[in-house]
Parts: sequence; C-alpha cells; structure tokens
Amino acid sequence: MALTRRQFLTLMGGSAGAAVLFQACGLPEKELLIDSPPAMPEDLVSGIDNWYATTNQQGGSSEGIVVRVMEGRAKKVEGNPDHPLNLGGHSALSEAALQGLYHPDRISAPQVRTGARGSGEYREISWEDAIARLSSSLGELDSSNENNKAVFVSNPTGGHVGLVLEKFTDSLGTRHLSYEALETNVLRTALKAVFGTDSIPEFDIDNADLVLSFGADFLSSWVSPTRYARGYGEFRQGHEHRGKLIHVDSRFSMTAANADQWVHVNPGTEGLLAMSIMQVLSSSHPNAVFGDLDVDGVLDSYSPANVANEIGVSVDTINQIAEDFSHSEHPIALGGGSAGAHTNGTQNLKAIYSLNHVASNLGKKGGVLLNPNSPFDGVGAAPPSNSFSEFHRLAEEMKAGNVKVLMVKDADFYYGMTDTVDMKAALDSVPLVVSFGGMMDDTTSIADLILPQHHFFEDWGTDVPLAGPGYQMIGFQQPVVRPFFEHRGSNLGTKGFADILMATAQVMGKDLGLDGETFKEVIRNDAKRLYELDRGQIVSNSFEGFWNGVLQRGGWWDTSYKVDEVPRVENLAGVASPEFGGLDQEFYIQPFISTLGDGSAASLPWLQAMPDAISTATWQTWVEINHKVAEEKGISEGDVLEIRPSNGRVVKALAMPNPAVPPDTIGIPIGQGHRDGGRYSSGRGANILSILDPKLDSENGSLAWAATRANVTTTGEWIRVPKFENTVPEFPRDEHHHIIQITSGDNH
Amino acid sequence: MVDSNKWGMVVDIDRCTGCQGCVVACQSENNIPINLEEHFNQRRAIQWIRIERYWEGEYPDVKARFIPIMCQHCGNAPCEPVCPVYATYHNDEGMNVQVYNRCIGTRFCANGCPYHVRFFNFWEPEWPESLKNQLNPDVTVRSRGIMEKCSFCVQRIQRSTRESERDNEVLEDGDRGLNPACVNACASNSLIFGNFNDPDSTVSKMKEDAMQEGERGYQLMENLGTDTNVIYLKKVDESAEVTHGY
Repeated sequence: MALTRRQFLTLMGGSAGAAVLFQACGLPEKELLIDSPPAMPEDLVSGIDNWYATTNQQGGSSEGIVVRVMEGRAKKVEGNPDHPLNLGGHSALSEAALQGLYHPDRISAPQVRTGARGSGEYREISWEDAIARLSSSLGELDSSNENNKAVFVSNPTGGHVGLVLEKFTDSLGTRHLSYEALETNVLRTALKAVFGTDSIPEFDIDNADLVLSFGADFLSSWVSPTRYARGYGEFRQGHEHRGKLIHVDSRFSMTAANADQWVHVNPGTEGLLAMSIMQVLSSSHPNAVFGDLDVDGVLDSYSPANVANEIGVSVDTINQIAEDFSHSEHPIALGGGSAGAHTNGTQNLKAIYSLNHVASNLGKKGGVLLNPNSPFDGVGAAPPSNSFSEFHRLAEEMKAGNVKVLMVKDADFYYGMTDTVDMKAALDSVPLVVSFGGMMDDTTSIADLILPQHHFFEDWGTDVPLAGPGYQMIGFQQPVVRPFFEHRGSNLGTKGFADILMATAQVMGKDLGLDGETFKEVIRNDAKRLYELDRGQIVSNSFEGFWNGVLQRGGWWDTSYKVDEVPRVENLAGVASPEFGGLDQEFYIQPFISTLGDGSAASLPWLQAMPDAISTATWQTWVEINHKVAEEKGISEGDVLEIRPSNGRVVKALAMPNPAVPPDTIGIPIGQGHRDGGRYSSGRGANILSILDPKLDSENGSLAWAATRANVTTTGEWIRVPKFENTVPEFPRDEHHHIIQITSGDNH
Repeated sequence: MVDSNKWGMVVDIDRCTGCQGCVVACQSENNIPINLEEHFNQRRAIQWIRIERYWEGEYPDVKARFIPIMCQHCGNAPCEPVCPVYATYHNDEGMNVQVYNRCIGTRFCANGCPYHVRFFNFWEPEWPESLKNQLNPDVTVRSRGIMEKCSFCVQRIQRSTRESERDNEVLEDGDRGLNPACVNACASNSLIFGNFNDPDSTVSKMKEDAMQEGERGYQLMENLGTDTNVIYLKKVDESAEVTHGY
C-alpha cells in the first residue's frame, strides 16, 4: 500500500499519541523492569542462596548469625532470629567479618621469618614443616624439663576451642595467659563479690523501667551491645510506660547521648555516687530492703553533702537519682567501661552492682538474672583474663631470658600494652615467637613462625556466652564456607586453630585425652552428651536429627534451666578516691572504644569507614575536646595535637572539638596506630593505649586505663578530619518542620 | 492478600541508638564501594542509609540526637521529573527506582532531592580482587558516572516475591527475606518495613495510629509535599520543654 504524505503524518501522530497514552496508563512498567538490572527481570537467572547459622565470638561478645552463601562464597551476614541473645539483630562487627574472610592481606600458608624481626620478610613453608618446627622446639623444652619456659598467650577463650587449648597447655606443662587490651577482669572480680559468680549476668533491660548505668557504653561497645540494643528498643517503646535511662559517665558516650539524663561525674567517682545513692536510700527509707547486703556503718560517710563536691554533681542531683531509683518498680544498675578503669575500679563496680541488692531485682523480671553454668563439664565461658600486672611480670621474665617459646593466638599485646612495659625489648629476648594469626597484627609481625588459623567462617567451635541470656545455652559455630585457601592444597592454606594444636600434640606423642581425631569429631561427640540430657529446644528421636537441629538453629538452649538461688554476697565495703598519673597535667585522658573494638577490627574497611557515633569521624585518631576550651587555646578541627602524659611519651592526633566534652577531659578513640595489620590499618592514626601511665587497680592489678592525665599542645600542622557530618553550618529550617521532631511524650 | 503493593517503612527514632548497624548492613548487601579516607575528605562518601547526629545545647546540658535517613521513596518525588532519560522513575509498587543503565549522570536528580540521599559515582568502584568474592550477585555494581541510591533492597523484594509465587505461598508481612538489609540488622527494631496497601500489615497499622492527632508520626519535610513512603515516629524527651526539634 502506498502512503500519501498526509496519511503517513496521521499515522505517526496517532502512534505518538498512543505512546503518550500508553505511558500515562503506566503500562511500560514491564519494559522498564527489563531495562532495570536492580529489579532483576524474569529471564535473569539468579543463583540459589543458602543461609547457614553460626556464632560470632569476635570482640568477646556472642552473637548468633546466619550467613548467606552462594556458589561457595559468603555474601551477607544477618542476625540469627532464633539466637537468645540477639534475636535477629546484628552488629556492624558481625557484618564486617565478611571482609575478614576475604581480606586481601590474609596469610595464605605457614610462614617462617627470613629477614630481621619486624621486617615483614617471610618464606612460605608447608604445614608439615611448620608443625615439626613448633613441636621440636616444644619437645626440646620438654626433654630438658623446662616446660614452664614455654608460654601460650591467647584471648580469653571459652567453648571447645578453650577446652582444646587448656588440654594442650596442660599436657605440655606450658603456662597459659589470657590477654585483653581492656580487661573485663575488674568487672568480673566485682560481679563475683556482689553476685557470687564471675559470669556477667543478664540485664533484663527490656522489662526494666529505670536503667541506671555508670560508665558502661552498653549501647555501643560494652559486653553485648546488640543484645542490649534489643532490650533498649523495648525499654523505650515496647511497653505502655517508657523506661528512663540515667547514664553516669565522665565522657559523653553514645549511651550518654541516648540517655534521658547524662550525669557528668569526675572521672573515677562513679562508685562514690553509687554509695551516696545508697546512703540516701538507707537514711530516708529506713525500711529499704538491702537484701543480704550488710551496710552497717559503711554508708555514713557517703552522704550527698560529704561527697557531692568530689563527684562533681549537686546534692540535689544525687537525691533526685536516689528518688528515681527508689520509685521505680523495675530498676537496674549496671556499670563498667571507664567506671572500672581507675585505681579504685573494682570498688566502684562493687558499689554500683550492690544497688541491685537494694532494688531486690535479682532473678526478677526487669532485673538482673544470673546465668547458670555451662551444660558441659569442663567447657565453659571464657576464663577471666590475666591482669596487666601479670603481663608486666611476663615481660620482665621474657627480658630475663626465662621464656624460650612464646605462642600467641588472637592476643595483640605488643599493640595493647603500654610503652612503659617495653614489650619490644621483651619480645626480642624470646628465641621463638609463634603466632597463629590469620592476619598480620603488631605481635604477629615480629613472629618467627606463623601458623595461620582459619577465619571463624571456616571453622568449628562452640560458644558458652560470658553474658548469657539468663538460662543455659551453648552456641554452635560451624564452617559456612570451605576454606578460602583450600585451592593451595592441604600442606598450604590455613587450618583450624584447635586442629593445629591437636596435630602438634600428635606429632609430639602427647595424648590430649579428647574424644575424637579431629576438632569436629570432638564437638560432635560432645553434642551427644547434650542430646542425652534430653532437654532443650531441639527435640529429636535420633542424635543425627539433634545434631542437624543444633547446627540449623545455631545452638542449644534450655529456657527453663535458670538460677533460682540468690547468692551470698560480700559485705559492702568503702570506695576509695581515684588516683591519677600526672596530677600537674591539664586534662584527663578518656580512651574509648569507637568502631574498631580494642584495635583488632582495624583491618576491616567497613568499620574504618563507619562514622563514630558522636563525632562522625572515620579512618583516623581524633581528640574530642570541649569546643570552648579549644577556642580559648586557638585549637580548630584538624589541628594536629600532641598528647603528653607525665611519663614522657607522646602521640599525635587530630583535634575534633564538640560541645559535649567536659572541659577538663579529652576523649581519644582506641584502635588505630598499628605497626602492621594489612593495608587498611598499618601506620594509620595513633595508639592511645601506648602512652598510658601504668596505674593499676588497687585490688586486682588490672590496668587503670582511664587514670592518665596529659597536656595538649599544638604542632602547627593541620590535617583534614575525614568525617561524615557536614563542613558548613546547617541551613536554618522552617520552625514547624524539623528533621528530628521531639515530643514531651505525655501520652507515651 | 492485596492486588498491588506499596512498600514503605516506619522509623521509630525513639528506639534508634545511632549504632550504625544498618549502615554497614546496607553497604554489604548493596555492593557499595568502600568509602576510603579521601572519599570522606572530598565529601563523596556513599551511604544509602546514614545516621545524622544533631547537637542540642552544650556541656553540661547537652544532647545529641540520632536519625537514620535513607531514600524516602516519595510519592511526589522531586528527583523524577528532572531526569531527561527516565533513569529515575516511580514504579507501580510505590518505589522510586533508579535504572542504572539509562543514567547519563546529569546529577539533576541529586540537585532536586531535598533529603540528600542520591549519590554520584565519581570513580569506577574498586575492590581488591579477594574482596570481590563478597559482592552480592543480585545487585549491579554501578560504574563511574551514574547515580545510585537506596532501593529498599528491591532485589530482595523481587526474589522473595518470585519465590513465593513459584511455591504458591503467601508472602508474610515482616518476612526476613523481604525486609531490606537495614531492617533486619536493626537490633532495637527502629526500622519496620512492609506494604502500606495491606491494611493488616504492621506498617499500615503503625502509620494509622501514629498519624493521628497528638501521636508521634511525621514525614520528613512534609511541608515540601513530597508525600514520602517513610513515616518517622518522633523522639520522646520527657525532660524537654522542647517539643519541636531541629
């Protein structure tokens, strides 16, 4: 058919109109879907994903997670909705474990040092060779009866890995020390005194109506933040009456930011405040129930009038907190972090936790629930770490040549110990340093022999949480992917830590007395003991079904197995005043955990790039300083400051003024300043732990890491602070339409 | 069961602690390039969901408040009409969708967005070879020169919808396979996701309750008439005479 020009234009006009009409009706949606990769069109073949349950024990807290695996690769971490502690939520640390698994700087085979110590020059060797070297060194000590000259330093390790480690060190007669940069020792000593057990109890924040916390940044980094955040959500909006959070702290932390009332106290006086609150309650409420707590005569000297000045709060504030505490139906008192990091730290925490006896909240809804023992004999939660003083002694022994073989697993004490200990000289005096690190860290970087362990996504394990859910539970850790370096063959690549120890013991002809040839068998055989208990949430008529059940669910728990007895407690004792290093220095140093934990997570770029909650700074070490003090001193954001305690040491960090910092305090995040640790952390920022004064807790010799004072000077240098918040003032906003809207909450 | 979906979110800022768990979960799920130090310094870090922190007062009477902000999936989205190539458009499930392979990088949409939730790829994203193993195969890696933003994890909606249709099952409200990564990560349950067209969904009920007079619901910058699909619940501060905010 021949078209005239007029016909052609008519047709074209019609079809253009039809197209407009077509679009207006929304019909091209399907077409757009096809064009849109994010929307995954029907004909795009996507892989099948599997989710495997396991447990994350990094950083000392327990989190049940599920890992999405596609084509043998781990893709995503989410919280395990069944896990009693986190019930589906998860932390950034758990998510970033993916980057630990696929980190470009992971060690892919055993290494022996070829250059000078710390030079980073290594040569790959086979596992056979590596284990032979370790076992022959240990064997020499064994045959000359010098077993105690071998020392094993690990992170506090519980569960079945802890069991194997204990059997290994016992069978060889080597000493075993547990190391934590920021010890939970003080906390556990205090808990033992107040509650009769050194495991951390469950705080039922969910059902509390008042949480009185002292120094513990429990929403951000303290003990089990994901579990506490879950409770916090319910505490705020899960009930008819909104709970009240009073946070006592010498620094404005993330928890302080979320509190209804932040009570700033002078550093180290948190325990005095707790005592004073008890004094008010005992005098104004003569019938106040103090449980088994004997307070006779102890409290008299802590009246608000006597101590308010030293604490740095008003008498009225102390009375108001006491009033709030006594008028609450379900109050909880908890403390830790910087409150326990002073010379009087243990005393502080004892006083703080004693408030729970006053509230009679033990074993009650909205109170403090003690944790029962592990269902396994001999397999428990992580033991308490050894104190700073013990590590100081170890360093002296090393310098004296009394340590011949030093084995290290997940314990970066070369990074975490203060420079005053001179760990470098100590390590230099040890003929053989063996690290089981799967990644470089400061301590591994001077190791002579590296036996790289699996990432926890590749390995077996069990977890008895130190801060359990208030009933008996054990988390299971299973490999969710095959070892990443499997392609390197069985004589290279990485191996499970417990399996390495078992293989070494076998080569040395030592019987560890374990029920199984491999670590997996040990766990599986022990799971039979669990099955035979015939209780818990996994019900099956065969062990095979039970085994699959605990792996699928990520663990075993028995919600009915709780602690019923109220323990006997020590009498309430007095709280001394804190002492500080460098009284002439101008500022208290408040080290704090931001996004990198104690520094062990610094190699993970997601956590480096995660803005700090308060300052929004990333990737650097900064100094929180009061904005007015900074102005008086002519300090602006990004000025490079020198922090000088009286011990002569110095670190440099970037000024970051903010309006919430107490004028006599500087806050500095822990975690940067690694000598080695892979491309994302090496040589970045400064390590505040290195310059601290070695002040000790008076009761147990732990490092009082918040007891150092320092002067601050400018250097004239300036570096832009990599931060998330904007660099220009905010635009004025319409007064009726705010970004964050607030209500006084009359109805909530 | 409803005929069509309108996906949306409720954000309770009284529950939010500012922990940033959602931020990292999003970066993992959506193949967001690693934000290096220089990216922050250049103000070009990419975060599809972010936590904003606002100060009020100064020591000792000081508060800091947190709010998670992601694409609001506006019903009247200012980013949509300005795109010359229809790379950003409104789909029939109430979401504001970005078609990466249409985008030519004019950045008009980012100019138009009052929430600052659109991000331009100033560089070709780079990962060390081994870290690429983690990348989510359901999500396109965006190349240099195009815009990206929160998609409500549309890949999860697509996958779970398709799988439930295949298996002849009803997609439950609150299904963890459907929820965006940030929602599942949030330990304090500040973020709730669901279908506003389903009157029985949690988000519909929360919205209905919250938007009544005197209750806590509001929409971010609602005066702009963007008709967002994200409902915020106000922060409660009993001590404050302040009843407005920032």
